[in-house]
Amino acid sequence: MMRLMSTITTRGAWVAALLLGSVQACTKLDEVPQSSITPGTFFNNEAEALAGLSGVYAQLRGAFPGYCCAYYVLSEISTDEMVVPTRGQDWYDNGRWLEMHRQTWSATSPSGLQDINSAWVNDFTGIANANVVLSALQSRTIMDSTKQAGVIAELRGLRAFYYYQLMDLFGGVPVVTTTDVQARARESRDSVFKFIESELLAARTNLPATRDAANNGRMTKGAVDAILASMYVNAGVFTKDGGSFSGTTYNSCAGITVAGGLDACQAAVNRADSIILSTAGYALADTFVKNFRADNNLSPENIFVVKFIAQDGLGFPFLQTTLHYNQFSAAPWNGFATLAQTYTAFDTLNDRRTKIFLVGKQFNVETGDSICERPGCAKGAPRLIFTPSIADVTQATEGEGVRIYKWPYDPKHVAQNNGNDFAYFRLAEIYLIKAEAELNGATATAPGGASALALVKAVRARSFAADTLSAVDRNVVLRERLFELAFEAKRRQDLIRFGQYTAAWQFKTAGTDNLTLMPIPQTQRDANSKLAQNPGY
Amino acid sequence: MRLVRYVIPVLALFVLISQPLSAQGGTGSVRGQVSDSVTKQGLPAATISIVGTQRTTQTAPDGSYTLTDVPAGTAVVRVTLIGYAPQQQSVAVTAGGTAEVQFGLAPQASLLEPVVVTGYGSQRREAITGSVSSINPAQANVGVTTNVTQMLSGRAAGVDITQNNGEPGAGAQILIRGGSSISNTNDPLYVIDGVPINNVATEPPSMSGVVGTPPLPRNPLNLLNPSDIASITILKDASATAIYGSRAANGVVLIETKKGTTSGGPSIEYDSYVAASSPAKRLDVLNGTEYRAYVQSQVPIWRADSTACAARPACATGYADSSGAFGGLKPSALSGLGAANTNWEQAVTRTAVTHNHNLSFSGGNEDTRYRASLNYMKDQGVALSSGLERIQGRLAATHQALSNRLRLGVNVTTSRVNNQYLTFENTGGFEGGVFQNVAIFDPTQPITVTDATGTHYYEGGGSSVRNPVALANQLIDQGQTTRTIGNATAELDFAPGLTGQVTVGLDHASGGRQIYYPKANPIGNALGGGVARQYDLDNATRTLQTLLTYRRETGDNSFDIVGGYEYNKFKSNLFMAEGKGFFTDAFSFNNIGAATTRTDSSGAEQSLLVSFLSRANVGFKNKYFVTGSMRYDGSSKFAVGHKWSLFPGLSASWHLSDEDFMRSSPFSDLRVRVGWGVQGNPGIAAYSSLLLLGAGSGGSYPWGDAPQTGVAATQNPNPNLKWERTAQYDLGVDFGLMSNRLTGSAEYYVKNTSDLLLSITVPQPAVSETELQNVGKLRNRGIELSLDALAISRPTMTWRAGLTFSADRNRVVDLGPYASGLTSGGVSGQGQSGQVSQLIKKDLPLGTFYGPVFVGVDAQGKQLFQCTAATAGCTNGRTTNGLGPAAADYQVIGNANPDFTLGFHNQVTWRKFDLSFLVRAVLGQDVFNNTALVYSTKGNALQGKNFLKPALTDPTGLHEPAIYSSRWVEGGSFVRLQNITLEYALSLPMLRSVQSARVYVSADNLLLLTGYSGLDPEVYASSGLASRGIDYLSYPRPRTVTGGLRLMF
Repeated sequence: MMRLMSTITTRGAWVAALLLGSVQACTKLDEVPQSSITPGTFFNNEAEALAGLSGVYAQLRGAFPGYCCAYYVLSEISTDEMVVPTRGQDWYDNGRWLEMHRQTWSATSPSGLQDINSAWVNDFTGIANANVVLSALQSRTIMDSTKQAGVIAELRGLRAFYYYQLMDLFGGVPVVTTTDVQARARESRDSVFKFIESELLAARTNLPATRDAANNGRMTKGAVDAILASMYVNAGVFTKDGGSFSGTTYNSCAGITVAGGLDACQAAVNRADSIILSTAGYALADTFVKNFRADNNLSPENIFVVKFIAQDGLGFPFLQTTLHYNQFSAAPWNGFATLAQTYTAFDTLNDRRTKIFLVGKQFNVETGDSICERPGCAKGAPRLIFTPSIADVTQATEGEGVRIYKWPYDPKHVAQNNGNDFAYFRLAEIYLIKAEAELNGATATAPGGASALALVKAVRARSFAADTLSAVDRNVVLRERLFELAFEAKRRQDLIRFGQYTAAWQFKTAGTDNLTLMPIPQTQRDANSKLAQNPGY
Repeated sequence: MRLVRYVIPVLALFVLISQPLSAQGGTGSVRGQVSDSVTKQGLPAATISIVGTQRTTQTAPDGSYTLTDVPAGTAVVRVTLIGYAPQQQSVAVTAGGTAEVQFGLAPQASLLEPVVVTGYGSQRREAITGSVSSINPAQANVGVTTNVTQMLSGRAAGVDITQNNGEPGAGAQILIRGGSSISNTNDPLYVIDGVPINNVATEPPSMSGVVGTPPLPRNPLNLLNPSDIASITILKDASATAIYGSRAANGVVLIETKKGTTSGGPSIEYDSYVAASSPAKRLDVLNGTEYRAYVQSQVPIWRADSTACAARPACATGYADSSGAFGGLKPSALSGLGAANTNWEQAVTRTAVTHNHNLSFSGGNEDTRYRASLNYMKDQGVALSSGLERIQGRLAATHQALSNRLRLGVNVTTSRVNNQYLTFENTGGFEGGVFQNVAIFDPTQPITVTDATGTHYYEGGGSSVRNPVALANQLIDQGQTTRTIGNATAELDFAPGLTGQVTVGLDHASGGRQIYYPKANPIGNALGGGVARQYDLDNATRTLQTLLTYRRETGDNSFDIVGGYEYNKFKSNLFMAEGKGFFTDAFSFNNIGAATTRTDSSGAEQSLLVSFLSRANVGFKNKYFVTGSMRYDGSSKFAVGHKWSLFPGLSASWHLSDEDFMRSSPFSDLRVRVGWGVQGNPGIAAYSSLLLLGAGSGGSYPWGDAPQTGVAATQNPNPNLKWERTAQYDLGVDFGLMSNRLTGSAEYYVKNTSDLLLSITVPQPAVSETELQNVGKLRNRGIELSLDALAISRPTMTWRAGLTFSADRNRVVDLGPYASGLTSGGVSGQGQSGQVSQLIKKDLPLGTFYGPVFVGVDAQGKQLFQCTAATAGCTNGRTTNGLGPAAADYQVIGNANPDFTLGFHNQVTWRKFDLSFLVRAVLGQDVFNNTALVYSTKGNALQGKNFLKPALTDPTGLHEPAIYSSRWVEGGSFVRLQNITLEYALSLPMLRSVQSARVYVSADNLLLLTGYSGLDPEVYASSGLASRGIDYLSYPRPRTVTGGLRLMF
């Protein structure tokens, strides 16, 4: 070998050295992304901080069908307000829609791995994005310090709201305020409750009472108060881990101590009063529908909303889930419907019945044209009819099931993107929360109405020609919440608080107490071995 | 520019230090003739070389040759020619004298190049130690061949090609030895003339996430004209591919293009063909009459139930349409029926014509050689509005100077490929694409209707049903790529055997895409009154290679070593503009400014790959060969501290038949090989290890009524992200019997892939649900056999036959935290969202079908599934509760991997006739017939949709949804006559300038034997993680007949 090698001339060796030497400079492999950003080079001024904040708000859309889907879908379809029948070939989808309605999910079932998992991921993604921006803003001042404090308060408020949804669905979850990704155990539900409460209280200080039109939709003191009021009235559930509250009796807020040493029911009343008396000037809209139309950003009733506009990827697509294929120009999916028993619970005097349901002969909501099950409805051809009854939920026809038309289409819609905002909290609910808290023993206060009955009647006034309600108890409040807040992602929470969530209703048999908390999806337990499962799964 | 900075000084230096090496002792000449030992006829184009020197020439048409400038002394003259055993003889050359050497070559079984390119060099076939398959391009370029991938099909053991679908120039899934990755690419590395190709899509993507699934990308290698290919070599095992290190885990395909030649003087070749194709098989749907009869037979059932119901109180309520409880179809179904009888499949398909023209000329002298070629191809698809057009030019020139010590070469290929796509040609999902609608669109409806507003397409189909003819004709989706691959090489001998080489390459592709969904079509209208998009994608790869080779051959011993450096820089830029809402369709995609709303986006990506490589081959006594190689690769895509990795390879072979103790054995040739090596797979996106914030609509949010552009983190960082590594062991035996009239090889391999790159669900909170991590292990084991026989060798007739066989078994050895497995293979169709068909799990092969076991249909027409007592509502092991199957009862219900694959190619020459055919067989695999699942259910009629005929006699109820189960997983074994070609050599004595004229007819996909009930069992699943064997209804595969002519002047 050496003999062979020696024949290489010195000249050759010199060239070899040169060939290799010339390339030394070409071994740098640093990466600098060009069309995306790394956090280390970002969040240096107000505009960049607001861009980060916007990204955290954007995650609110993820609760709705058409985006990610989960919180909304779980809060509605698992209750007596909504069902998604299998219609011929349509909407079978591995049985997950019926599984959700029948509450037969598990950590590994189709809806467990899809919808329940999506809910977990969606809310935590909001939290993680908030943490990324917060960690940048909390380490240095990059803008006017009052403004920066305001942005930080918004981020903390939003993060608390994502935790609120997780606590509602799953109970205790890991509480994380840093950006590192690692396996962490679940906190108790009560300590998550206390974390959310303290974060909201801290954020409240630096939030404004109201926003100008250009900033409509951003966090306010009112939004924080509303979330807190909801937490307090649900405190009988929200402070208790699975198995330690009842699935079949009313879970009162009375006797639970919250921040400031207050009884939770009283704290709920205080928060309600704070909203009613707010300088933001919240008031019940003069008509019910004003809260849901495309121009509902003008409603004085809305307190905390998810903003939608008629633009690709930024609109409210709820109509797609429920309207018949031929009813709207964006070709909806003919899915979500209401149970006959829920539809008939609305009496005929209740004006809201005609405002939120579609039943009987159908028209195109946009053009008013008569429609049939097939397009090109010839004269004399049978019309599309929505019927309250669904004979067989596994084999429904196209017309079965009452449809939900609470959010009318936006005349400026772009395809399925409507500009209607979705209110998580509006004043009507605050009245009902206050009434319920008073019925649970909290001191009656003047704002909104002197008594629980007055509060409930205040909400009902615009929906009845002559309201004959003369007495109120908790069950009246629950019924009123159904009438007023149907399809606003409240029903699951309400039924659990009232101990009625696991009861039997149409297409569903009675279930066990453990169903009041969702299972931790197996995917998440695989990823994080420290996550304990909820009892009964 | 940076490259140029380095290259120019190096090249200048070459010239400066180059002085002629002094000729020692003068030179002489060698001449003689090479002939066939059977026919005794002269053999043209045989390569004559003097061992240990660069002196080489080719024989003239009569087999004669002359080599001048041969150093005086004992020269070893070697002759090699495809189809013959190589020979060498020693001869004494005197200064100024002429020695004579005659050769008589014996024909052999295999038609393979005697010298094999091995990457950064070449070797004699006998000296190869790794696992290498070669394909004879002349044999493989038959019928309509659009790209090099199609030429690999069925001709090399262990190389499985599945074309995505039947569209012209379709992309393909290529698995060499079963693939090595779950989530990364399984495509091999393609190296054209020594320069690795960045084989990514050069055309911008189609519109995705809108209404339907976009068409699959076509094969990026459509840029290369198959007629320009001189040789194809596939490096399969790790010892062979290790020299390509990080990019070689899936094998390497080395393509050499044709170069100029001096034998026989300048020549002109022209070849041309015209082909006609039509769909090989048609969907068995109900025709208009049958569909009408079915609907009419179902309405009385509903009426009877309705009458019976009316007597019951439940039916008497205000809204008495309890129709779901009734059997049959509602009377309204009758009013939906039309009067036409349309065969939608015939309406969207056609007999397509393809034509192809090649013109090339080549020539030169001892010092300068050139070859130029032009290609025009127009390939119409068998479906309306689809096709491919290619215009390509290629120039290859070599020049030698300084007494053949400096060799320069330039290769430039430039091509323009125009693709016309069918907008929704593949898995249609909910809305349904062109072929889905062929299956479901009401056959009683006409294609067009004329009313007060004029003649227009009938669109009364209903929900998620679209007139397929309108889809094909009205929706425009087209793309085009202009791609230029150029490289220049300079090679200089510094000393005898010591050669330096510099290659610079530029691969630039400029791709465009134009899409318009007009408002005249319901899809375009629903998306906001017409949608137009234009994309621009610019990909550029710059390559610099510097190599230093030392090669020495003395008698039976040989030694060569190569060391080098390679630098690759990949850059891509994408720009997209979209307009929605047009007041007219007249602009098509050409005037996005006229849209009501406009959006645009852009992005850029850049990555680097830097390598140091070396390899040494040692041959001892022409019997023992050892190869060692080492490559040190750095990729910018991995995390800091994990960017560099070492990829070694080692292999040896022993030429047993040359040993004395084997002299009396029946083997004319016998060799054993062993090899080991490690390779990588860098097929991940740039910046994969970083925490990224993305700006786009996902992070935008309206405050007030104005959307605020926001940022949201889009990717979790992984500071430990590193290479996926595949270690492979290979054991091979090559043998020849009966003077190599029968040759073959057998191989066994084990491939262990570790540090699999998988998107792993991470603990929340995290900005993204998953993170790319190195977890998991995959193992492939397999056997490959290939046999070549020269069955008949007579002066008037020869028959060569070749057989390839391979069997691969893959298994997931470890899947990190996914103990319960990962799902893949999404089911497509209405009511199937979220449904998956496959499971990736420890100890199971990739491509395992997993789902409920179908046991029958009950009296009510409900499907029953196997279950266990633990499941609610399970009686006697069958589901009874109407809830459908439970996830807990899912089982393994099939395996998409074949037991083995076979290729059988034949070439028979009889006088002036030449007959060749290729048969391919793939046996033992299961296919999930997604098409049957969703389209052979009578329930389609509930929504006024047609269905496949077998459903008529099926007991499944009208109202029963389509449920994925073992019922839809079928055996997919098949035998296909891939191609058969008959060629005839014309005598044209009146045209003296014509050296040869041949005419041929060829048929592709003439015969398919299978028990599979769908269109074609050869299916490709594009979606998601490593899914295989799912028959999504897609573009039909054609049957093609070609007639062609080859002329040589």
